[in-house]
Amino acid sequence: MSLPLDVLLLLLIWGMFVGLDLVSLPQMMIARPLVAGTVAGAILGDIPTGLKLGVVFELLQFDILPVGAVRYPEYGPATIAAVATAHASSGVLGLGLGGVVGLVTGLIGGLTINLLRRVNSRVVHAAAARLESGDPGALVRLHAVALLRDALRAALVTAVGLALARIARPLLAGPLSPRDATLLAVAIVAAALAAGTAGTLRLVGRGRNLAWFLAGLGGGILVAWLR
Amino acid sequence: MAAVRFALARALLRLFAVQGSYNYERMLGVGVGVAEEPLLRDLGDGPGDGRYRAAVARGAHFFNAHPYMIGLAVGAAARAEHDGATPDQVERLREALCGPLGSIGDRLVWAGWLPLLSGLALVAIALGGGWWAVASFLFVYNIGHVALRWWALRAGWEYGTRVGTALHHPVLQRAGTLLEPAMAFAVGAALPLSVQFLTGLFPPVARVTLAIVAALAFLALRWRGDRLNGLRLALGLAAVALIVGWIWP
Repeated sequence: MSLPLDVLLLLLIWGMFVGLDLVSLPQMMIARPLVAGTVAGAILGDIPTGLKLGVVFELLQFDILPVGAVRYPEYGPATIAAVATAHASSGVLGLGLGGVVGLVTGLIGGLTINLLRRVNSRVVHAAAARLESGDPGALVRLHAVALLRDALRAALVTAVGLALARIARPLLAGPLSPRDATLLAVAIVAAALAAGTAGTLRLVGRGRNLAWFLAGLGGGILVAWLR
Repeated sequence: MAAVRFALARALLRLFAVQGSYNYERMLGVGVGVAEEPLLRDLGDGPGDGRYRAAVARGAHFFNAHPYMIGLAVGAAARAEHDGATPDQVERLREALCGPLGSIGDRLVWAGWLPLLSGLALVAIALGGGWWAVASFLFVYNIGHVALRWWALRAGWEYGTRVGTALHHPVLQRAGTLLEPAMAFAVGAALPLSVQFLTGLFPPVARVTLAIVAALAFLALRWRGDRLNGLRLALGLAAVALIVGWIWP
């Protein structure tokens, strides 16, 4: 896969905004894989691929409940990298390869979030005296620099994801037969479905809401069967 | 009045970045302090005054809650400072708000509004809605998002130390009871439709394999949910698929 420089730059900028949105600013959910993937697809001129990978990672996202200081993978830039990988490959090969690149990028993204929070903790600890003096300038500066740090982190994660997308195709696509590509795509979609179902059931719990979930599941199966 | 409205607007804008300096020492405290600062500027003789600086320092102490609901704490703490509450009272107010704002926000947004709209967007995409479904998700979600942030800040500023009253607002109570079943239904419907959308190009035998693997993976997640998560599972299954493909001629 060899993308033009202007497209790569646009994906990198989009990945930076997506990474920032996850936690720091403004949490308007452009970091959701559905949105990140669709816009990445639009940048690449391939919205259907963006939607497909967006749906895969959106299902995986249901496994995550971002409460407290819980650690989780970062699926926004991951979806962008996945779409960039899948764009160059057709059919099930794209789904499988894109999924693998996205998962690795999501793992790296999650690690960097934890690292960033540790760095922020050190900075805040070092600035404790200035913060306790009530100096508003020091407070705002510390906060603004932390935002910039997160923007840089998000851009780096996206860059790593795009680099992985570039090497994934020659490394994996060549040796994979159509059957292997299908196996890989089956593994990715099965994991997404299982994670989405398990995550949703954790939210739903038991009782009345479980009945609503089963009713929705039945309705979805019926509509899928009728189509 | 105009000055207060201007300060509230500035605080609201800063609230969008309240998690910008997330850290394990003060959690969201620094962001809360940054958001609260515009509401404290007319304390005492303004910036430079001891009362103002002490309030700014208190605002940046440890705080953790749901980011969309933090406006309640920001508004309430700032109002309490204006009403002459003692430092101890302000600290106790902030401590008391962490838990309720976290649990109400998590229930309303992370476990209700967000998965509900995400599920509906998945259904719409599977039925051919395309990028319109994604744009509608983003638009509708943010109507609720911005409204909740603005209401929280206004309510906090209005009620001050009596902010607990705002948490019993009937809309909050009703929204919680309506969102949960709606979310369960929407995501339930989204799961099979999403699979149909993704597996359009799969041969029949691959669909049967997918059903078996997904069922086993689901059981593994339910059985070892403490150690296994979606990411690890997906990476593990992808590795198994690559190995099987490699050794199976």
